[in-house]
Amino acid sequence: MRINASPSSQPIDERSTLLENMSPMKLCVPGDKLCSVEDCIPGTGVYLRHGYIYSSLAGYVLRKNEGEELPVISVVRETEAQLLPDVGAIVTCKVTSINPRFAKVHILYVGSTPLKDRFRGTIRKEDVRATEKDKVETYKSFRPGDIVLAKVISLGDVQSNYLLTTAENELGVVVAHSEAGAQMIPISWCEMQCPRTHSKEFRKVARVQPEYLQA
Amino acid sequence: MATVQVSEAEKVYILHGIRDDLRVDGRGCEDYRHTEIETDVVSNTDGSAKVTLGHTAVLVGIKADLGKPKPMLPKEGYLEFFVDCSANATPEFEGRGGEELGTELSNTLYKVFNNKHSVDLKSLCISPGEHCWVLYVDVLLLQCDGNLYDAISIAIKAALFSTKIPKVHISADEEGAKEIELSDDPYDCMRLNVENVPCIVTLCKVGHRHVVDATLQEKACSVASLIISVTQKGTVTCMRKVGGGSLDPESIFEMTEAGKRVGKALHAPLMDLLQQEERLGTKRQKVGFLG
Amino acid sequence: MPTDTKRVRGPEVSQSPLLFVSKPATALPSHGPRTDGRPRDQVDVRPVFVRCGLVSQAKGSAYIEAGNTKLMSCVYGPRETERKDETDMKCGRLTTDMRFAPFSCPERGSWIQGSQDKDLSLMLHESLQPAVCLHKYPRSQIEVNVMVLENSGSVLAHAVTCASLALADAGIEMYDLVLGCAVRQDGSSYVVDPTYKEENSCSSASSENQGGLTVAFLPSLNQISGLQSDGEMTEETLTAGVRTCIEGCYKIYPVIQQALAKAVRRAAPPPSES
Repeated sequence: MRINASPSSQPIDERSTLLENMSPMKLCVPGDKLCSVEDCIPGTGVYLRHGYIYSSLAGYVLRKNEGEELPVISVVRETEAQLLPDVGAIVTCKVTSINPRFAKVHILYVGSTPLKDRFRGTIRKEDVRATEKDKVETYKSFRPGDIVLAKVISLGDVQSNYLLTTAENELGVVVAHSEAGAQMIPISWCEMQCPRTHSKEFRKVARVQPEYLQA
Repeated sequence: MATVQVSEAEKVYILHGIRDDLRVDGRGCEDYRHTEIETDVVSNTDGSAKVTLGHTAVLVGIKADLGKPKPMLPKEGYLEFFVDCSANATPEFEGRGGEELGTELSNTLYKVFNNKHSVDLKSLCISPGEHCWVLYVDVLLLQCDGNLYDAISIAIKAALFSTKIPKVHISADEEGAKEIELSDDPYDCMRLNVENVPCIVTLCKVGHRHVVDATLQEKACSVASLIISVTQKGTVTCMRKVGGGSLDPESIFEMTEAGKRVGKALHAPLMDLLQQEERLGTKRQKVGFLG
Repeated sequence: MPTDTKRVRGPEVSQSPLLFVSKPATALPSHGPRTDGRPRDQVDVRPVFVRCGLVSQAKGSAYIEAGNTKLMSCVYGPRETERKDETDMKCGRLTTDMRFAPFSCPERGSWIQGSQDKDLSLMLHESLQPAVCLHKYPRSQIEVNVMVLENSGSVLAHAVTCASLALADAGIEMYDLVLGCAVRQDGSSYVVDPTYKEENSCSSASSENQGGLTVAFLPSLNQISGLQSDGEMTEETLTAGVRTCIEGCYKIYPVIQQALAKAVRRAAPPPSES
């Protein structure tokens, strides 16, 4: 597609006809004025400025009625949204190393969205479980390679990474392998058993909510 | 860049003050801080100057070396700029910390001097295509208290004014080989015409107004600034937006106008001062670094 | 290092043979139509061809071609910051890197980033930063890379446009697109979107009012995010030049919008309305 930018061809008209013919939904680019705040509630992919709602993404304009007086306006892209781990988000991570004070993890998923880039997180000893915090031993809770469900409690500061916690029944190790290399089966909230050797290993096991289990 | 932390309350105080044309240190919006200039401060250079602007202090040394003209411009000498942000100025510059700022400053200086009239480069040519003078302009930041650009440009102008390039004679022997002879008389030297050397004026946009010669506190309140280098005649040789924010076109036009006005007014007193100092000759009382 | 006696080693510095061509009149005429047929003193930017999504590995990418100026840009991230300081905790960091391919200019460049490239990277950074909603990306950095494949003038202006397009293609939240435009003043006349020859030629006749100006502009917010000029110009010329550049930016705005719309449509059909 080669478009002449000189005034002789009129790209503005071309664009508006394109929009009308090809897509019933409105497309927008960053900086497009969508509507006044009096007409809609700003959703995602938009920002407010001087009483108007502008688009901050290139994508489709979506108006949704959610029972409120005004529809929610947002701009969506089909390609996965730019998710970053945020405070309160449930993340899936893989343990990379442990030491007596904390376990280091890589965050792989935020909710059910895979992250494109690697983010590092830390689960401190105090944040492993809610009770008897002072008796926690990290090597009895996690081992490198474990897949862990955790919740973000802080974005951390200059020195530290994302701080995560597993101090909830639903959080903790979901997948772990035994020393023999077999995937272990949880037998209690703090133990898992190897199906091959029947040896037991300690973990902070998550009680996975049934709705998250996939067949 | 060396920065300071400013609290919200301080910001509001500074903003409101500037709105009413009253700055924290009592200046108006287009006033400079107290400025001191001294030339010929380092004896090993061909020209040097030290400028203090408020608490900002810069030292510029110029050394003239013999070099080969650039192939594109065989009849001209050239200038080389280097800005060193030493850890003396702020600990942030330690190691490679000051490198980024140093390159930014020196690149801007190249832009400022990238025209035909600022310095007569033809006078730096010794023999076309073979030899020319290369002026190494080395800038050293001794103390940072905002407004580095302006201080550096004033210091460079002063240093160029005091630069004395020895006269050389070219003699050719029978075979046509050329020989360069340096004049024996140390007073037989060439001076540069600094009439058209521009001065940089930095305008910081604070709130809805702009201020000249911002301190670090004021800089922390501003989103973007405009640097304008202006010659004596009011020609602009370089304009550049610096800082993370954006400016609307109208305020850019206002700032250009103000920059030109302030910059033009800067030259006459500066030249006066330099000539006065020159006239004192050897009777001049040296102030040095602790003055 | 032991000297190699077996072969004649080349000189340490080399120059293009073109420099030794007997000098033709390098100065382009400062009146009449330009070499590429565009008129003078009019806001006539070169036709641009833009496309998003060339590099599949990158989060977003864009390619721009204006006359013979060709450049591409890739955006990676947001990813974890490498260098950390206090400000990164609240908002993200934007890093820019602009490079010239060694063969992009008439004279061969080096692969190592020179100070000119660094300067352009900095200008690019300052032009883009006001447009990106960095506060939405705490603790992370967004990397913008621009590679100039062929330099035929107005590189910075087109780099800004290209990079903002790549950012939008990557789905990075932005307040507005950033468009770039350059003008070259030559005496009393000016040329918009100058070519490499026009940028580097200087007619000796009128050296008074001569210089280049590049503006980066946010069209919807009506803000100037980047501005750089060199040469010698009066204040009035500069003001007029800035206005001309803004006008030039509006000329390419629809083309950029359209390219972006096309990229969005190609990426996915519109979501069902529910």
